[in-house]
Amino acid sequence: MFKLFLTILRRINGRKTKIKEGAQSHWETTFETERRPISSSLEKNKAIVKEIFDRCDDLVIREIIISRKSPVRALVVYLDPMVNPDLLQHNLLRALLNVDEAPSNGITIAWLKEKVIPAGDIQEKKRWVEVGNGIAKGLVGIFVEGQGSVLLTSIFEDVSRSISQPTAEPLIRGPADAFNEDLRTNIALLRKRLHTTRLAVENLEIGELSKTAASLVYLKGYVTDELIHEVKERIQRIKIDGAHAGGYHEEFLQDNPYSLFNPIEPTERPDKLYGHLLEGAVGLMFENTPFAIIFPVTLPSQIQSPEDYYNHYWFASFIRLFRWAGFFFAIFLPSFYIAITTYHQELVPTPLLISIIASREGVPFPGFLEALLMELAFELLTEAGVRLPRAFGQTISIVGGIVIGQAAVNASLVSPILVIVVALTAVATYTIPSITLSNTVRMLRFPFMIAAAFMGLFGVVAGSMLLIFHLCSLRSFGVPYLSPLAPLSMGDLKDTFIRAPAWMMIMRPRLTGYVEPQRQPRGQKPRPPAPEGNRSLRWGRKK
Amino acid sequence: MLDKGRISSVQLMLVLFMVEMATAFLLVPSIVAQAAGPDSWLSVLGVATAYGLAVALICVALGKRFPFQVFTEYLPEVLGRVPGKLLAAAYTVVFIHLTSVVVGENSIFIHTVFLRETPPLIINLMMVGAAVYGVYLGVEVLARANEMVFPIFILSITILLALVAREIDLDHLRPVLANGPLPVLKGAMVPAAWRGEVFFLLLLYPYLNQKNEALKSAAGTVLMSGVFAATVTAVTIGVFSDLVASRQIYPVLNLARYISVAGILERLELYLIIIWMAGVIIKLAVFYHSCSVMAASTLGLKDYRVTVFPIALATIVISGRLYETDYLKLVEFLSKFWPFYGYTVELLIPGLILLVAVIRKKGGNRVDF
Repeated sequence: MFKLFLTILRRINGRKTKIKEGAQSHWETTFETERRPISSSLEKNKAIVKEIFDRCDDLVIREIIISRKSPVRALVVYLDPMVNPDLLQHNLLRALLNVDEAPSNGITIAWLKEKVIPAGDIQEKKRWVEVGNGIAKGLVGIFVEGQGSVLLTSIFEDVSRSISQPTAEPLIRGPADAFNEDLRTNIALLRKRLHTTRLAVENLEIGELSKTAASLVYLKGYVTDELIHEVKERIQRIKIDGAHAGGYHEEFLQDNPYSLFNPIEPTERPDKLYGHLLEGAVGLMFENTPFAIIFPVTLPSQIQSPEDYYNHYWFASFIRLFRWAGFFFAIFLPSFYIAITTYHQELVPTPLLISIIASREGVPFPGFLEALLMELAFELLTEAGVRLPRAFGQTISIVGGIVIGQAAVNASLVSPILVIVVALTAVATYTIPSITLSNTVRMLRFPFMIAAAFMGLFGVVAGSMLLIFHLCSLRSFGVPYLSPLAPLSMGDLKDTFIRAPAWMMIMRPRLTGYVEPQRQPRGQKPRPPAPEGNRSLRWGRKK
Repeated sequence: MLDKGRISSVQLMLVLFMVEMATAFLLVPSIVAQAAGPDSWLSVLGVATAYGLAVALICVALGKRFPFQVFTEYLPEVLGRVPGKLLAAAYTVVFIHLTSVVVGENSIFIHTVFLRETPPLIINLMMVGAAVYGVYLGVEVLARANEMVFPIFILSITILLALVAREIDLDHLRPVLANGPLPVLKGAMVPAAWRGEVFFLLLLYPYLNQKNEALKSAAGTVLMSGVFAATVTAVTIGVFSDLVASRQIYPVLNLARYISVAGILERLELYLIIIWMAGVIIKLAVFYHSCSVMAASTLGLKDYRVTVFPIALATIVISGRLYETDYLKLVEFLSKFWPFYGYTVELLIPGLILLVAVIRKKGGNRVDF
């Protein structure tokens, strides 16, 4: 069945590529003009710029004359919306226009670069392709009469929003800054947390047309070179026109491309990325998206929330156990309801069974249909809640709460017990901190409901075994997805179902952090000061 | 090597345990009690374990000689091409039959106890389907999946036994060895054959990554399952007495039915079946994996996966033809023929092969790991 599905998918895939094979994909060809060398004649260059940026009305070509002593004509070329006008006027143009001295051999690009232009990031480019792309990226190009190269400098207009609170992963106790759409800001947020030269930030580019900047971040010496190599190779293999924000490029990076589970974790929390980096994971950040992605990632680590490490370990463990329970509830609760009401009534204690049956008395549908209806309604509500403009939010909660809940029961479409089950499932789904995992769980519910409808708990068990087999076969960049559980590594169980106290977290996770296995020295367990000695703070001596 | 997977010695131990115990814990107590009476636990704990250890020793010795091949791959090397291939083919057929016995055990159990109106074919398709998916994913995945299932299996049965512990009447177990050692030996026939399934070591040995710990794993499995099975048997007989236990088909299931905690925790036999199913799917997956590897190596195929599907279908059909839903036919096989069948396949032939290998100096004797 699955194989058949795969072959069909492959067929579809194959046919598409066949059509494209004949024609060169359009982004790989550059403009004819872009292949020409940069001329030393300013007029020619101007014409070529105009040709390249044909029909780009936001392009500004400003002609200036540098230096009062030996005047040289120059062009300042930039895309207006991308450049900060204040900085352009006050720093760049003023510096260029007010050049007093001039070197004996006349004004050259190299001299301008070294002596005049007050910018940190400045590059000299000799090819039109680079110059064109640079200007398209928002750099300012400076052409000088008689020079065969161009200076590119950055005076970006700040078009990103300010750092705000995380919207998808809120916490109570923990830092409240989140990534935003600007890659530089995001890296700054990370650098702010890791003041070490070990933090590597490698710049990459995705998207042949969009040329989206991406940064690979990791801690040098904590990650194997093979992993870094593998990641870079997979990223370089991506050939798409534009890197959409979100999960689009993630799908090129998965180990198991057909799996429902996505062992790549997106996060908008710098502290979460930071925590994973310290455990030997790798982060990939993109321009234009507030979500960095983390890998390798395991299912148990997707159940962990950063807050587990900010709260006291007893409470953190307690809550984490609940989250695991929530994970299982979210998958199995509706199917259990179906199995028990249709097949295994004997499992329920008699008084409860009587009340369940009584509550289902007027309901015309079998348990499966009833549960399916409610689950579908719930999924619709969730989706509507996400899509709706803010102003309609109230409507949805009223419609959802009253119509779907109360009225459906009163109309005997569903039984009140089922409403509890569905509500509990819904709540449980959103206790999973990982967005991707909770989405997967939302989908997984339905196959299990069908299995329960066919075979009762037997179907559910067979389905769970399939699920276990599948999960055991998954890998995230070579690391088994269920890793501290299967293959079992006893030491890592300290941070799986429970969260051990911080002074016990001596070793990093075995499979991701094995390059630098030890996190901290042993024997840091706090203890009260020794009874002897004058500076003892024991209560006996406090007075 | 047909499967590229790697398993650790602990994983091997747990897999072998599951292979032995997934079905044995339910079926063995009643069969043993018929012969050994109150001393059943002794035959399970003592005699069967001794036999299991013998099998483990031979298998490890044989495995050490051919550390990177499965059993059927080196048979031609040891015995010569034609006899070796013939024996390999025979082994494949025998194990396909054994797999269909497991399929039969499962569908008969679920059919007779729970799903009275569901055709056994449907149950088989479901179980075999799940197992086959595991086989397709390879031995490494099986071992890992088993690591997830094993704790649940052990924990659930321990809890079930603990909950029923207050019903135990120690008089049912006394006096020890009242009828002398002979009934104990006779009773050990069937569980011994089960314990001999540690033979699967020979089919998993090449995947083991710490080969020097093979004996530890194998012996550990035999001892662990000895203790486990003896506990189950002892509790069963302690609760029901040997007379009642030997007249029931699934005494352990009735044990679960006995449980009643505060009037809320009742009718726990359903949990038993969940555990049984999880265990049997693992067991079936290991059996299918071994069968298909045997078949593929005998036929000289490059990929064992092509043989999985036909073998799975064959076992479903064979189990349907041989046993249908007839527990008596199955139990007749299990208690009368299976021991001798098992001894030959698990102990006798591997022992002879080892002897031939030693005499003909085949396989490496000292392999450094």
